[in-house]
Amino acid sequence: MRFIVFFIMLTLVFQACKTAGNQPQSTEDLTKNTPKGQASVVDKESAPNILQLAEKTKELSTLVAAVQAAEIEHVLVNAGPLTVFAPVNSAFDALPAGTVETLLKPENKKKLAFILTNHAAPSTYKGRLLKDGRKIYMATGNYITIHRKGDDVYIGDAKILATVDASNGVVHLIDKVLVPEEK
Amino acid sequence: MKKSKILMMAGSLLLLSLFALPLWNITLEAPQYPDPLGLNIHIDGLQDGNNENDVRNIDLLNHYIGMEHLPKDLPEYHLFPIIVAVMAILGLIIGFTGKPKLYLTWVIVMAILGIAGIYDFYLWLYHYGHNLNPNAILKFVDKNGNPMAYQPPIFGSKQLLNFRVHSFPASGAYVMFLGILMTIWAFITGKKES
Amino acid sequence: MKFYFKMLNVLVIAAFSLTLVACNGGNSKGGALKNSAAEKVFVAPGKYDAYYAFISGGFSGQLSVYGLPSGRLFKVIPVFSVDAEKAWGFNEETKPMLQTSHGFIPWDDSHHPDISQTNGELDGRWVFINANNTPRIARISLETFETEEIIEIPNSAGNHSSSFVTENTEYVVAGTRFGVPIPQRDMSIKDYKGNFKAALSFIKVDPKTGHMNLDFQVLMPGFDYDLSHPGRGKSHGWFFFSTYNTEEAHTLLEVNASQNDKDYIAAVNWKKALEFIKQGKYQTMPARYAHNVYSDENHTATSTMEKSVRVLDASKLPGLVYFMPTPKSPHGCDVDPTGEYIVGSGKLAAALTVHSFSKMLKAIENKEFDGEAYGIPILKFESTLAGTVEQPGLGPLHTEFDGKGYAYTTFFISSEVVKWKLGTWEVVDRKPTYYSVGHLMIPGGNSRKPFGKYLVAMNKITKDRYLPTGPEVCQSAQLYDISGDKMEMLLDFPTVGEPHYAAGIPAEIVKKHSKKFFKLEENKHPYATKSEDAGKVVRKGNEVHIYMTMIRSHFSPDNIEGIKVGDKVYFHVTNLEQDYDVPHGIAMIGARTSELLIMPGQTETFVWEPKQVGVWPFYCTDFCSALHQEMQGYVRVSPRNSNVKLSWSLDGE
Repeated sequence: MRFIVFFIMLTLVFQACKTAGNQPQSTEDLTKNTPKGQASVVDKESAPNILQLAEKTKELSTLVAAVQAAEIEHVLVNAGPLTVFAPVNSAFDALPAGTVETLLKPENKKKLAFILTNHAAPSTYKGRLLKDGRKIYMATGNYITIHRKGDDVYIGDAKILATVDASNGVVHLIDKVLVPEEK
Repeated sequence: MKKSKILMMAGSLLLLSLFALPLWNITLEAPQYPDPLGLNIHIDGLQDGNNENDVRNIDLLNHYIGMEHLPKDLPEYHLFPIIVAVMAILGLIIGFTGKPKLYLTWVIVMAILGIAGIYDFYLWLYHYGHNLNPNAILKFVDKNGNPMAYQPPIFGSKQLLNFRVHSFPASGAYVMFLGILMTIWAFITGKKES
Repeated sequence: MKFYFKMLNVLVIAAFSLTLVACNGGNSKGGALKNSAAEKVFVAPGKYDAYYAFISGGFSGQLSVYGLPSGRLFKVIPVFSVDAEKAWGFNEETKPMLQTSHGFIPWDDSHHPDISQTNGELDGRWVFINANNTPRIARISLETFETEEIIEIPNSAGNHSSSFVTENTEYVVAGTRFGVPIPQRDMSIKDYKGNFKAALSFIKVDPKTGHMNLDFQVLMPGFDYDLSHPGRGKSHGWFFFSTYNTEEAHTLLEVNASQNDKDYIAAVNWKKALEFIKQGKYQTMPARYAHNVYSDENHTATSTMEKSVRVLDASKLPGLVYFMPTPKSPHGCDVDPTGEYIVGSGKLAAALTVHSFSKMLKAIENKEFDGEAYGIPILKFESTLAGTVEQPGLGPLHTEFDGKGYAYTTFFISSEVVKWKLGTWEVVDRKPTYYSVGHLMIPGGNSRKPFGKYLVAMNKITKDRYLPTGPEVCQSAQLYDISGDKMEMLLDFPTVGEPHYAAGIPAEIVKKHSKKFFKLEENKHPYATKSEDAGKVVRKGNEVHIYMTMIRSHFSPDNIEGIKVGDKVYFHVTNLEQDYDVPHGIAMIGARTSELLIMPGQTETFVWEPKQVGVWPFYCTDFCSALHQEMQGYVRVSPRNSNVKLSWSLDGE
């Protein structure tokens, strides 16, 4: 009889052990629920944010791959407002051979993130706000100047090819990568 | 001075502590009262037992069961202080005479008065517990269909509705008891001395 | 046989223990209990939290009281917005609390609570909080957890860099966000630059009563003053304000106020200001501002309109103010527990800038200036710089300290809290927040002695973190355990309104002083009724005053006749209870106001203007007792010209 009681106790302990294991008990688990921060939010109804826009745009596939490699998705889904100068695939292709491949390597994550944030500026710069000669303060702390040549608008030496509004700012497609000066 | 004399005089003087210390304490515990309500019975009146306004709040609860308001004034409140003072002075004088027989007499008188006091206390508890307003808000009956009484125990603990009521002697009673013990001791040592 | 059983017992117990160990080992190396977030925030039923957290209500205008680590909400203290639940701003007694020079204002935006201090440590007597929109500072008593005083700030607009206390609560300080014409006048907005001014206000606090009094204002150039913190320890006597829009833009600030490479942290020497005041170097300016005080003696507030303010002009008084250049529109301006470091979080900057107080003094002494702005010396950036935290994250906002040599900064854009070391400026840990964190709070984080056990991050955006509640979802706070080397996230909990700053304090400092009820015999309300026998109804023309009492479970009187249409009926109701947690409420059908919720020993008043003939009931709104549903009464309303006599009764007597 006693033996049976103890056996039941043992089973109970194992049972308890199992259920405890299913709970997010360790604090590490609590952050794993939302691995990419705000970028993990699933929302198919709201107007697309900058990241969602970029993901939908074929010409930006290299940029999106780079953003994912640098793990800075959350920056592009933030409330902003942000202006992103998004180099198209051909802009990345124009970089010296092997540059993109090197940057995408995990050990260069920080450097890649720095280059990418050099394409984002706080506040929404579009239309007449892109005044000739206006210096735009990028998230890296660098300034890049706007130039107007006829109807064309340039940021640094990159030409703005197209402009798309996003829910949290604006995306300007540009034809060159804005490589920051080494700090 | 003889040891018995000192014991007799000191013992009877301890009675005077009753002017400051409570004789009895009734405490009411209930889940809604994490600080239990308390009632201290002094020789000259009722005082808050555990918290400010306890008497007032016990009174307020009592009206639900139709109990009379707790007495602000009773003949006893005037009589008891006189009895206590007289007994203390008598004890002093008797102590001064140094006659053990008188010590014993004092102890016996004191015991009779004490029992009478407790009986009086019981009568009041009975009065309040049974003389309930027939229009009371809450009316309960016992198994036999008689109106339920809410008499706190004279000594010990009892469940009254949602309250657990404790009734025990308080500090004053203990000091008085010590005093009486001392006078008995005075009688014993006094007999040996003579 | 017996021996056999004993052996079996031993074996089974051994197996049992092994299983337990295995079970723990499966969860984590440190054992399940050690790492369980649930365990760390669980406060068993009936047990108390270790800390109070006073979390600002933001656009709710109130101050909420939470427990830490459980995140349980205890109370929402009405401060700047009316609160029908507590009759704040609805009953006659508290209406004066919301008076301003613009009249009665039912709402505001409350931002930065700060707890009073003695010798640089939290003393738990009062909480101060600012109203951002119509500039005001409130003082909340931590005995009653009620707002006791509100003072309006003249010459200010967008009272944002407020309300922070000096280390002995000598002053509570309020700075303006907007530059405005001082005094206000009709002028073109285009003429902002050079003509608009900003005022930094120093409100003296009476050390005994806590009563506030606007001692003086420092008149500054028309920049935007964003946040501020007091010097402490060696820097006691100074106050630091972050500024932005040193461009003095008046339109599209999003772009136009982000042009300058560096804005400033303004260092104000308020001890020097007191000397200037003594020397009479101030100007007394006419001003109108309300000063509202609530008294626990008569349970009534009074509002007084003040008429002038003493002003010191920073441009004309050398030594009063210095500017420390700080990159890119600094938001947070936080002083470490030693008083040596002033952290400027340029919200657009890529790095955090930390100034050194001792280097600042030296730079002032050696006149290491880099020009001036409106007569105020600008110190050389390098001369005051203690160090920078490089590339810590994006969008730094606020910094708090744990008292163990570490600082914790929030990053809005990158949604994280970053822990870094004072002195070496190296980042030692970072944890995500969900999402877009604004302020953070460590109990005592704005004092010489922080309690570095918990950190609360206050997030602006929650999106998918909670069950959805339509387009408007809650804002929230997140709790981190910061007692170890690495921060550990423990808990999410929703907040009231938008939490800006918060102030935390160990519970034992506050809870022992918390009041249980008001003493009836000390009630000095002019319409108090201290016993049922004293209840009455008095007519003065068309005003009728009802002196009513409430006790478990009836009102007295509870039948009133002789009221007429067109009367203005004042219900002055006194709660006769003298017991903890026995409030009573009262509400009258058709009264265009809120209920009253009256604490034991208190008197409150509401006004009812009956429009229709009939017999109208009132009742108790707080489930006070077993016979709460019986706690009710009637008022008979007769036609205007009726001759029904005024009468009142309880139980026919």
